[in-house]
Amino acid sequence: MTIVIEYAKWEELAEGTEQELTVGPITRTDLVRYAGASGDFNPNHHDEIYAIRAGFDKPFAHGMLQGGYLARLLSEWLGPDSFKNLKIRFSAQAWPGDMVICKARVVRQYEEAGERLVEIEASAANQRGDVLIKATATAAPRT
Amino acid sequence: MPLDKSVLERTFPEFEFRVERGKIREYALVLGLTDPVHTDLEAAKAAGFDDLLAPPTFVRQFWHENPGNDPMPHLGYDPKRRLHGEQEFEYHKPLVAGMNLKGRNAIVSTREKEGRRGGMMTFVVIETRFVDEAGELVQVARRTLIETAAPPKEA
Repeated sequence: MTIVIEYAKWEELAEGTEQELTVGPITRTDLVRYAGASGDFNPNHHDEIYAIRAGFDKPFAHGMLQGGYLARLLSEWLGPDSFKNLKIRFSAQAWPGDMVICKARVVRQYEEAGERLVEIEASAANQRGDVLIKATATAAPRT
Repeated sequence: MPLDKSVLERTFPEFEFRVERGKIREYALVLGLTDPVHTDLEAAKAAGFDDLLAPPTFVRQFWHENPGNDPMPHLGYDPKRRLHGEQEFEYHKPLVAGMNLKGRNAIVSTREKEGRRGGMMTFVVIETRFVDEAGELVQVARRTLIETAAPPKEA
């Protein structure tokens, strides 16, 4: 059976509409899998001794792992091909054992040059409420 | 260590790669994407794509697969003080398996700034432009790399 995801339509995305996704807890296996999938083998993300010598308590997640979780929330909400742009700013590390709580909100619903667009503000935080990343996106959802 | 300014004068060669189904699936599964357009060919075709659709942050894996193509290892940054500060993507065409992409990296801006605890922080923005076989722009990725003023524990 083919699963079909129902994306939100532009008409349903009034300003203030929100969506959430909680992922985790992050495991060291997630870090290793992400390293392999992304090709980013910075040892800070898998080598305990290297990470400690670099001044960290232990290996931590690639920023783009949390970035990927946040993009997953937006993609499954608005449609995977609806994005015009996505901008992610990294603020804090996520550690193995952390939850990643992603939240997104429509901040503008508008039409421009015949296209129906939304502007999104999103963030991901850990279970202690520390912000890990902030993001903005522009998307043209289905109508 | 201050930024090695000679890197700003350098150009980096174009690189080519084929977008593979297996790599798209792997990337989608790691992130827990449940949307079958990334993993199931029938679902992708039913949704109007020619093949499996890459997740939005997928091109990340092609930035520095070959250090000769990428400015990052040539910045002179101390890897222990290097942070990924920002990441931006611009989307122009759907990225699907089977496409042969060409990418090219360039340093588009640099700046230095006094750190909050003293010392200089260096910001470098590297832009990667990806085009398809027809030469049409598919995606642009911009990463901001920061070298912090001091290692975290000594700050």
